[in-house]
Amino acid sequence: MATTTLEPRAGTYRQSWVLDWLTTVDHKKIGILYILNSFLFFFAAGILALLIRAELAVPGLQFTDYDTYNQAFTMHGTIMIFLFIVPVLAGFGNYIVPLQLGAPDMAFPRINALSFWLLPLGGGLIFSGYLFGGAAAEGWTMYTPLSNAPYARNVGTDLWIIGLTLVGTASILGAVNFIATIFKMRAPGMTLFRMPIFVWTILVTATLILLATPVLTAGLIALFIDRNYGGSFFDPSVGGNPILWQHIFWFFGHPEVYIVILPAMGVVSEVLPVFSRKPLFGYKAFVFATIAIGLLSFSVWAHHMFTTGAVFLPFFAFMTTLIAIPTGVKMFNWLGTLWRGKLMLTTPMLFALGFLSMFLIGGISGVMLGQPPFDFHVQDTYFVVAHLHYVFFGGSVFGVFAATYYWFPKMTGRRLNEPLGKIHFWIHFIGFNLAFFPMHQLGLDGMPRRIADYDPNAGWTLLNFVSTIGAFMIAVSIIPFLINVVATFINGERVGDDPWEANTLEWATSSPPPPHNFDRLPPIHSERPLFFLTHGHGHPAERPEDLVEEELVDEKPGDIEERPEDLV
Amino acid sequence: MQSTAPRSRLRTILRVGAPLLLVAVLAGCLLPPEPRTEAGRSVFNLYLLLLGLAAVVFVGVEGFILYAIFRYRRKPGDDVLPEQHHGNNLIEVIWTAIPSVIVLVLFVFSMLSLAEVEARVEGDEGVSIQVEGFQWSWRFIYEDEGVAITGTAAEPPEMVVPVGEPVVLTLTALDVNHAFYVPDFLIKRDLIDFGEHREDNELRFTVTEAGTYAGQCAEFCGTAHADMTFTVRALERAEYDAHLAAIAEGEEPPEPVTGECAETIEISADNLSFDIDEFEVPAETEFCIEFENRENLPHNVSIYTAAGEDLFIGEFLNQAGNITYLVPALPAGEHTFVCDAHPNMVGDVIVTSD
Repeated sequence: MATTTLEPRAGTYRQSWVLDWLTTVDHKKIGILYILNSFLFFFAAGILALLIRAELAVPGLQFTDYDTYNQAFTMHGTIMIFLFIVPVLAGFGNYIVPLQLGAPDMAFPRINALSFWLLPLGGGLIFSGYLFGGAAAEGWTMYTPLSNAPYARNVGTDLWIIGLTLVGTASILGAVNFIATIFKMRAPGMTLFRMPIFVWTILVTATLILLATPVLTAGLIALFIDRNYGGSFFDPSVGGNPILWQHIFWFFGHPEVYIVILPAMGVVSEVLPVFSRKPLFGYKAFVFATIAIGLLSFSVWAHHMFTTGAVFLPFFAFMTTLIAIPTGVKMFNWLGTLWRGKLMLTTPMLFALGFLSMFLIGGISGVMLGQPPFDFHVQDTYFVVAHLHYVFFGGSVFGVFAATYYWFPKMTGRRLNEPLGKIHFWIHFIGFNLAFFPMHQLGLDGMPRRIADYDPNAGWTLLNFVSTIGAFMIAVSIIPFLINVVATFINGERVGDDPWEANTLEWATSSPPPPHNFDRLPPIHSERPLFFLTHGHGHPAERPEDLVEEELVDEKPGDIEERPEDLV
Repeated sequence: MQSTAPRSRLRTILRVGAPLLLVAVLAGCLLPPEPRTEAGRSVFNLYLLLLGLAAVVFVGVEGFILYAIFRYRRKPGDDVLPEQHHGNNLIEVIWTAIPSVIVLVLFVFSMLSLAEVEARVEGDEGVSIQVEGFQWSWRFIYEDEGVAITGTAAEPPEMVVPVGEPVVLTLTALDVNHAFYVPDFLIKRDLIDFGEHREDNELRFTVTEAGTYAGQCAEFCGTAHADMTFTVRALERAEYDAHLAAIAEGEEPPEPVTGECAETIEISADNLSFDIDEFEVPAETEFCIEFENRENLPHNVSIYTAAGEDLFIGEFLNQAGNITYLVPALPAGEHTFVCDAHPNMVGDVIVTSD
């Protein structure tokens, strides 16, 4: 029974592929929808970024007026974070996690579809402000009282709140789904400490989403009530507390930083071992470091509020500084993975190495910002903009591209063109550093963020101009990427099921995988079941404890040919 | 193989060395302005420590990545697996301990610096200035001297402070959040209306060198946030006293305007708009504007030519209230009246020359 019901009923009825994709509950199709949808929002928010950089290239107002500019940076931040980075990583999670677990689908396929379809709806609402007199223009942090009536009476802000509430709800549903899938759907033999590291990072991320995002959603609803129904949560003139919004926002907002960086770290931790031909150095230490970062992330939110004069500085400075320790452990383990490996500089590997070197800079500037006296100088300046882009872009987005190049052959059966990929990487890498490194100096010089114009005598012109050139280079780098994706999809090199000689289960099925994912599963004795399969039992390099389990558990590997009943 | 070895070594040196050189050059540039306050000096010193540690970590890690890329590159056709290291608990403990020590030391220095920045001199409260921030300018109130300096987005205000004396700012937001920031002082603090929940924020500093320093609102506060600038002028005590006295003189209430207006225009502001779209006055004749602000937001009435040249700048009413402006004679033509805080509040001034 188990096998027959899993066969696709292709012969019994026909439906158009459009309807098929619109109604799918297959985690792989939903994952691809997530990724495509996220990239569309990425391009939209990227165009806004170009508008911002074009305006700042030289002093004076050339392309925008104040309100257009304020809307542009608000939408840029909101869309990039909530509708690109979070969902695109959730998309890869959707596609890859069940495959890496040896599961046929996510735990709740229909909820999975719902949490995807809320995204274009929420994103559309956020953007639709442009149709009704202007989008939200109070910054992605939406600080009260500025975002409250009477200072922001635009409909765009209400649409922003409603849209973001939907996006947050989607995120929470997705998190529940991931947690249920990871705890209940693992293949036989896959203990928690044999899960691929990407699954671990998704598990911690989902837990963070589950704990943090409802706080934001509640805050958004409170703000909506304040704005539209005479509430007084955040209005000081009637006893409300404007600083409460900052607490709510950052209680969500700082875990959010780890929500977008942890899965990218997971991607990098998959890519580095594969292309170093070695296991991840210190797998368990890496898992504990990930959990530690997740726990600490709930105790540092007020470091975004050092200059408010309303938070206890030593505590939040101390907790913030502590996060450097597990992050440092991760960095050392990545370096340990490279150590005495045999490195293959494929495009996914280049992006993973780019992640290491760029995220390092974001991490260092993060520790600096965590020191209150220094934060007093650079808070709300371009130093913060530089820092967050080194984390979000140099970190997460490099991880997203590593994932794209790494898993594209799994999704399509075709490998993206390597020379084009390398062109993409190098223009991207150089453009990124040109765009964002000068911002450190601009911030140290005292240029505040979120200003459309600056004094020509302030001495900020040259660095702003360089930064703008870098931003346009990033945009140019997307061209070879898009050409590559389209050309490869149509007529790319077919590379079989496991082109990278990878370690984890998603490469043990066909590319693209069948709807039910696996016809047969290899035995699972470590976090690298496929390595084990390829390089045989008792490889001298494999851990002794694995060999012991090997003899105990895997007496007849042929038994696993059919999917075990309990998985269906 | 023999012939390529030296070349590849040179290439390696170049590839590793060039970025390191770049780092060294960049590190030389990555400095904040020379601090002009005592607190700023402490921030600057802490930053030097941070930058030094950052440089060590940066060079170490990036150096290892580059080293690994060149040293451990897989050679074409090499299918032998490298040794499969799964990790080492002792190493994990060591590289957990090292960053722990670094960040704890850092934290101690950070707190020492914080104590200096927040230090207050007992018994000497220094010069007390109340700073009010509103969309989109500032008012600096010297209560003891009876002086208030109010700016507009178009004409930013100037704060004067004495050199070498502690200054205590009380920071009050009249509408949304703002932040008082002078880059040369290396400190900032938010202006937040905490309502009944907290006292207003304070910012303390002692300027160490006479001069004029640019400042700007650092907390995004709406449309014209970028225009919310000001300057701080640090003067020797005697000059400072004279300066404030002069402002106090200049602030004597203007001659009451009664009956001398050839014409009086009534304008009121409410809900972020004026009640009239246009008014007409004869050319080359003084006239009065009776302006009523009906809401607790800063408004004024100023008149500009079509080319943007200012003909008259009206004093701000930061709360509901009345004011009468005596407007000088205007040249004939079509001009614009506008609230300087709210560029959307505009109307036409038609000056007829019969």
